[in-house]
Amino acid sequence: MATKQTDLLAAPAADDPGGVTTALAKLLRRGLSQDRVITDVTRLRTYECDGITGYRVVPALVALPQSTAEVALTVAACADAGVPFVARGAGTGLSGGALPVADGVVISLARMRRILDIDLPNQRMTVEPGVTNADISIAVAAHDLYFAPDPSSQTVCTIGGNIAENSGGAHCMKYGFTTNHVYAMELVLPDASVVTVGGDGIETVGPDLRGAVIGSEGTLAIATSVTVRLLRKPEAVRTLVANFSSPAAAGEAVSGIIAAGIIPAAVEMLDALAIKACEAAVHAGYSLHTAAALVVELDGPASECDEGFAQVQEICRAAGTTGIRIAADPSERMLIWKGRKAAFAAMGRISPDYYVQDGVIPRTRLGEVLARMQQMAEDSGLRVANVFHAGDGNLHPLVLYNAAVEGESERGEHLSTAIAELCVEMGGSITGEHGVGTDKACSMPKMFSEDDLAVMKRLRAAFDPDGICNPGKIFPTPRLCGERPGPYRVHPLEAAGLIDRM
Amino acid sequence: MTHALAEPDDAPTPDRARVERPDSVAAAAALLRDSRGTVLLRGGGTQLDWGGLATDPDLVVDTSELAGVLTHNPADMTASVRAGTRLTDLQDHLAGDNQWLALDPPTATRGATVGGLLAAGDSGPSRLRYGGLRDLVIGVTLVLADGTVARSGGHVIKNVAGYDLAKLVHGSLGSLALVAEVVVRLHPRPAVSLTVAGPADAAQATAAALALAASPLEPAAVEWVGGADFGTLYVREDGSAAYVETAAARTIQLLHTLGVAAHTLPPDEAGGAWYDHAAAVIGATDETVLRVSSRPSELASLVRHAAEAARASGVSLHVVSSAGLGLHTFRLRGSEPAGHAQAMTATRDHAVSGGASVLLRQRPPEVNELVDALGPPPSTAALLGQVKAQFDPAGRLAPGRFTPWY
Repeated sequence: MATKQTDLLAAPAADDPGGVTTALAKLLRRGLSQDRVITDVTRLRTYECDGITGYRVVPALVALPQSTAEVALTVAACADAGVPFVARGAGTGLSGGALPVADGVVISLARMRRILDIDLPNQRMTVEPGVTNADISIAVAAHDLYFAPDPSSQTVCTIGGNIAENSGGAHCMKYGFTTNHVYAMELVLPDASVVTVGGDGIETVGPDLRGAVIGSEGTLAIATSVTVRLLRKPEAVRTLVANFSSPAAAGEAVSGIIAAGIIPAAVEMLDALAIKACEAAVHAGYSLHTAAALVVELDGPASECDEGFAQVQEICRAAGTTGIRIAADPSERMLIWKGRKAAFAAMGRISPDYYVQDGVIPRTRLGEVLARMQQMAEDSGLRVANVFHAGDGNLHPLVLYNAAVEGESERGEHLSTAIAELCVEMGGSITGEHGVGTDKACSMPKMFSEDDLAVMKRLRAAFDPDGICNPGKIFPTPRLCGERPGPYRVHPLEAAGLIDRM
Repeated sequence: MTHALAEPDDAPTPDRARVERPDSVAAAAALLRDSRGTVLLRGGGTQLDWGGLATDPDLVVDTSELAGVLTHNPADMTASVRAGTRLTDLQDHLAGDNQWLALDPPTATRGATVGGLLAAGDSGPSRLRYGGLRDLVIGVTLVLADGTVARSGGHVIKNVAGYDLAKLVHGSLGSLALVAEVVVRLHPRPAVSLTVAGPADAAQATAAALALAASPLEPAAVEWVGGADFGTLYVREDGSAAYVETAAARTIQLLHTLGVAAHTLPPDEAGGAWYDHAAAVIGATDETVLRVSSRPSELASLVRHAAEAARASGVSLHVVSSAGLGLHTFRLRGSEPAGHAQAMTATRDHAVSGGASVLLRQRPPEVNELVDALGPPPSTAALLGQVKAQFDPAGRLAPGRFTPWY
C-alpha cells in the first residue's frame, strides 16, 4: 500500500531560497547522516552537469540517501518546502537530463548500490538504482545469464539512469531497450508516497505504469529498487566487419540482411572519417582505405547463428563488399567492438571540438539523409563524421568544429540541431537513446503537436502536480529555448577512459 | 449451463446506448468532443468482460469502421493501422511480404482488433520470443474523452522522445482513452514452425519451462494445457527448416531428462493442437476465467492450490499456461455460481498473496453478482486515480471497469 512520509517539520518560507536551503539542510541532516547532505559549493560543483557538459547549474544541496525510506524522506522534505529535486545516477546521460535546478536539490542514488535478490530459476535480479549496468551482468555471469541493454557507458552508468532514459545500446535491434527488460520497480512519487509498479509476472492489472515511467527521464518518480529480467547468454556469437565503397552500398547490405529475414544482434556502420578517428585512438584494425565499414553480429543457438552468418556474408558480397574480416575468436570480437565504441571519444584525434547527435530515421531513407547531411555540412563549412546503429536507423552524426575559431561553435550547434530536425522530417525522431532532457526540449515541437505535448503533461501532472520532480526537462519552456548551451567539453569520466559516448 | 463458445456477437450492446462508428480519427474526436455522458469503447468485442464490468453507457464508440492498414514499409519492418483493424486482417496484409506482427492472442480468432488488443494488453504464446504488444507498438494516436487527439512515439523502432503513451493505455481496458491508430514493428515470418509435445503434469511443465529458459535453446513458445494432475506440454520452434529440426531434437532430449516423453507433432496435428489451445484460453461463456501472472516457477503451486479450491467448491479446473512466461489462464466450470465465486476468490487470494497479479477475464452474470471483480487494490490505486482524473476528468470512459480502484 502507498505510504506517505508526512512526519517532517513544517516547510520553511519559500520566498527566501537561501533560508529554504538552510532549513532543508538542517532537516535532512537529521534524517540522513551529516556527511550525506552536501551544501559546500566546491563539492556541489561535482554535480553541476551530467555527460553533456555544456549545460551547468550548481544545485543548492545534494542528498545521498541510502534506502527507500531515506529517498522518501528527502522527497517529502522537498515537497513540503516546494523545492524541486533532480534524481541522479552516475551522471553519464547525454541530454542534460540530470542537470540540476538552481536552488534545487540533487538526490544522488550513488549510495544505493546493493543487489537485493537474485532469482536464478526465474532469471531475474532485484537491485538498488545505483548498481551499474555492467555489475548486473557480472553478478550472474557464472550462471550464463546477463542483462541485455548495453549502453556504451555500461561500466559506469546505473540501472536507475537506464530506467530514466530507457537505455538501449548496440544490441537493441534484437533485444530491445530497458523497458523490455524490467519486471517491477519500487518508486518514490513526488508526494513521497512509495508504490510498486509492475510485479512478479509480466502482466499486471490496469494501465502499464511501469512502461510509462521507464524513459520518462526522471520527471515522474524516483526508482528505488528495480527487478530486471536476465537472459540466457546466447550459445554462439559471430561477428564480422565488411568494407564498402560508399555508405549507401553498406546501407544496401543492411537492407538485404533485413529482407532475408535475419535479425542481427547488432549492425553498426562507420564512415571513413569515423574510422580514421577510431584507428588513431584504438588500432582495432579497421581499414583506413574504405568509405564505410559495417559491423554485423549474429547470436543465438549455434546452428541458427551459423546458417544466418553464412547468409550475411553472401549478402555483403552481393552488395559489393570490398573485403570481409571475420572475428576469429572472442578477443578479436572485443577488439572490433572496442574500435566501434571508441568512435565518439576518438573524435578528439581529428577535431578539437565536436557535438554528438542522436537522431533516428527509417533505415530505408539512409542514402537520402546522408546526402542531405553532407550538403548541410558543406553549407556550414564543417565536417560531419558518422557512426550509427544501422539496423534500427539510429544515427550518431558527430559535428566537428573548432571552438577557437570565431562562430564555429554556433554554426556547429545549428548544424547539429538541424540534423536532428531533418530526422523528424524524414519520419524519424530527434532522439533514439540519449533522451530529450534539457538539450532537445526545444526541438520537441518539431516532432509533437501542442496537443500531444499537453496530453503528455497531463501524465506528468498525475504524478507530479506541483512540478517539482526534475522540472525543465523534455518539455520546451520559453526560458530554456531562449538560451544556448555551451560547447561540448570532455566529461571527467571520459577523460579518464572510463566511458565512451555512443 | 451449456458449453457454448464465446462469439464476438455476444458482446453486450446495451439497448439504450447509442452506437456510433466513426470512420476517421477526426470523426472520433468530434464524436467525443460533441457528446456528453458515459462511453464504452469497443473494438472486436472479445475482451469487454475483462476486469470490472462497465455499467451501461450512454454511447458506444465502435471502431469497426475505423479500420484499415495505413502504411506498411516492409524494408523498415513497420506498419501503421487504424485501431479497429482486425489482427487477422493485418496479418493477411503483411503475409504477402513474408512478415507478421509477432502476436498470436487467442482472441484474434474471434475478431480482436489491434486497438482492442493494446487496450486489453492481450498476447499469446509467441510473447515468449517476441514480447507482447507493449513491446511491439512504436507509436500510437489516442483520442481522449474530451476529443483531444494526442500522438506519442512515431514510425521508427528506436525512439525515446517524449512519454510513451502506448504503454499507459496498455491494459487500461478502455478507461483512459480511445486507441485510434497504432504503429507497430514487424518481424519476418518464420520459414518453418515445429511443435514438440508430450504428456506432463504441472510440476513437470514448470520444471521444463525453467530448464528450457536455462538452456541455450530459444523456443518461440512453451505452453502447457492441463488440469489438477495431468496435461500436455507444447514447445514451438520457429526458424529455418534446418534449424527447427535441430532445435526440436535438442528439446526432445532435454524434456526426456525431465521424464517428459515428447515427440514432434505432424503439421496438421500441430495446427489442431494450437487451435484447441486458443479455444481453451478463451473458454466458454458459462465458465469463470482468471488470468494469473506470476514468476514461472510458481505454476505447479498455483495449479495445486487452484485445484484444491475448485474441488472444495464443487467446480472443475482447466488450465492453459504460457509456462515460460508465467502467464496462466484458469477456467472454472460447474453448475453452481456460488462454487465459481468461492473458487475464484480463493484462487485469486492465494495467488495475489504470493506476489502474482490476477485479472478476472470472464464470468457468467449470475457469478458476477457474487464476486468482487478486481480484488485487493494495488499500491498504485491512488496514482491510477490521478491518471484517470487527468485523462478523463468527467469519468466518461468505461465507468465501473476499475471500480473501486479508480
